[in-house]
Amino acid sequence: MAKLLMDQLTKTYDNKVTAVENFNLTVEDEEFIVFVGPSGCGKSTTLRMIAGLEDISSGTFSIDGKKMNEVQPKDRDIAMVFQNYALYPHMTVYENMAFSLKLKGMPKAEIKDRVRNAAEILGLMDYLNRKPKALSGGQRQRVALGRAIVRDAKLFLMDEPLSNLDSKLRVQMRTEISKLHQRLKTTTIYVTHDQTEAMTMATRIVIMKDGVIQQVGTPKEVYDQPDNVFVAGFIGSPAMNFFNGRIEGNYFVMGQTKLLIPDSALPEGLDNQEVIIGLRPEHITHKPVKDESTVEVNLDVVELMGSEYMVYATLEGHSFVGRVDANLDLAAGTVFPMAFEMDKARFFNPTTEKRIR
Amino acid sequence: MRTKDFAYWLFLAPVLIALTLVVVVPMLLGVYYSFTSWNGINTGEFVGFQNYIDLFKDERFLDSLWFTTKFSVISVILINFIGLSLALIVTSRIKSSSLLRTTFFMPNLIGGLILGFIWQFIFIKVFASVGEMVGMESLQGWLSTTETGFWGLVILMSWQMAGYIMVIYIAYLQGLPKELLEASEIDGASSFQRFRYIVFPLVAPAFTVSMFLTLSNTFKLYDQNLSLTGGGPYNSTEMVAMEIFKTAFMQNAFAYAQAKAVIFFVIVAIIALLQVYWNKRREVEM
Repeated sequence: MAKLLMDQLTKTYDNKVTAVENFNLTVEDEEFIVFVGPSGCGKSTTLRMIAGLEDISSGTFSIDGKKMNEVQPKDRDIAMVFQNYALYPHMTVYENMAFSLKLKGMPKAEIKDRVRNAAEILGLMDYLNRKPKALSGGQRQRVALGRAIVRDAKLFLMDEPLSNLDSKLRVQMRTEISKLHQRLKTTTIYVTHDQTEAMTMATRIVIMKDGVIQQVGTPKEVYDQPDNVFVAGFIGSPAMNFFNGRIEGNYFVMGQTKLLIPDSALPEGLDNQEVIIGLRPEHITHKPVKDESTVEVNLDVVELMGSEYMVYATLEGHSFVGRVDANLDLAAGTVFPMAFEMDKARFFNPTTEKRIR
Repeated sequence: MRTKDFAYWLFLAPVLIALTLVVVVPMLLGVYYSFTSWNGINTGEFVGFQNYIDLFKDERFLDSLWFTTKFSVISVILINFIGLSLALIVTSRIKSSSLLRTTFFMPNLIGGLILGFIWQFIFIKVFASVGEMVGMESLQGWLSTTETGFWGLVILMSWQMAGYIMVIYIAYLQGLPKELLEASEIDGASSFQRFRYIVFPLVAPAFTVSMFLTLSNTFKLYDQNLSLTGGGPYNSTEMVAMEIFKTAFMQNAFAYAQAKAVIFFVIVAIIALLQVYWNKRREVEM
């Protein structure tokens, strides 16, 4: 159980390359924080600074009010799960899980209790005497989790723990980790590049790009109220659609197309301004009644997903994705009226790419 | 199928022929000669096991065998200990590590004979001068006794081979997954515990290779022995290879020397193979 404070955390390599810049974050006890972003955005570096595997160039990091910058990893009371499991190949599953307890000098009986307890939670009882190489990827990942659980540490750090698993197992382990967190309530920081993992597991998401935090918020907040174009495009699958155009009165104008924006949705002072609008695929759809936000488009590709179609089309040079109910008959190459739900549109400044509210 | 078989043997042929001509045939001939009274010129008559019976009563041979065994055991331990220590030093995050690597490896580039003469100078002249200056009696008269001759050889051999063995350990140390060391660090291991529980067991394959190389090299040592002590005083630091050489080329007892060589070969082979078998069992697959 721990409360973390990261204040102006910065990591610079050789005084040249800045991997993380002014990282500010407060993590409350029992939170499940997910750092998400594309490769090289600094999320793993930040995690490694928290773990103590990477020196902090400037700024402070503290756990429960105690400054940790100079504290050795082994004295930070943290447990970490690595991307490629990092199981000790010469030790059995039992020995792998017991290793940290043995180093602490814990009595054998207690070690046995704790390891068995963790093994039971993770369904590893039958594998305790096996070496890691005799386990499947999912089982190895469980052992890695087990090694973290037995520690009863203040803080769990997970560095892309599911990225080596196949997609089905990944979904399964995702729920298992979530259940584990609900059960143990240990403060957790989880790093991933997969926005789905971030959305499904996090209590709060930290979205990073080029070493800088873009937005911090609950999954719902970052999905519904993205602060900038990057967050809007990164969170959600398929990604949000963006259209460059101009506001004229109550209309969004791009080329020959004019779309009516309801008064309530239009931020003030945008008249005659260039803007980017963002619309999620579920907000470009089919409506039985045509109005001033319906546009006839030529369908490039139509993908039937079962309950709905993913519709790929182009409008005024912008390709976009919409979602249409599967009850309709759609075919690629035909013309179809798509309704743009402009009340759901998000407006961004084309220069700064920041959200206009 | 036939053409594949043909190509297979065709490509293998150069090696097989070369190996047969320079290794297998000489070895079989050698074994045969050990049962004769060959003197280097005439094959002589077949004498059965006489040479072998004689050599087990030959005190000079048995002494050299015992001396070589003692030398090998101590050298193997020292060389591996020093080699691994050097490897740990140069793979740690120190600045001059590439310079150190080159320096440690350097002795291995000097020929054994030259090294022997260099160390002879050090042991006899430098040790004596230093001993005089600091007033240490034990630094005087090195190489003039069996004891100092023995340790002289051990020091020379360790100094020469440790750098070579270091390179092998470096290769394995650098191949260790970084995450394992980090995981152990987070698990609470001190640097000593990390070495004992993680690094040491995981570089086991390097032990197999290094032990094999050091064992066979120390057992077969000849040129350093020749140039440093020449077997003296009174043949007391004579190792097996030199003893066999003297038997053959100074006493012209070629067949007898051949029998000794066969026994020597069998001993080295058994020790080396046992060692590999025993060490292999400790190795871990990643």
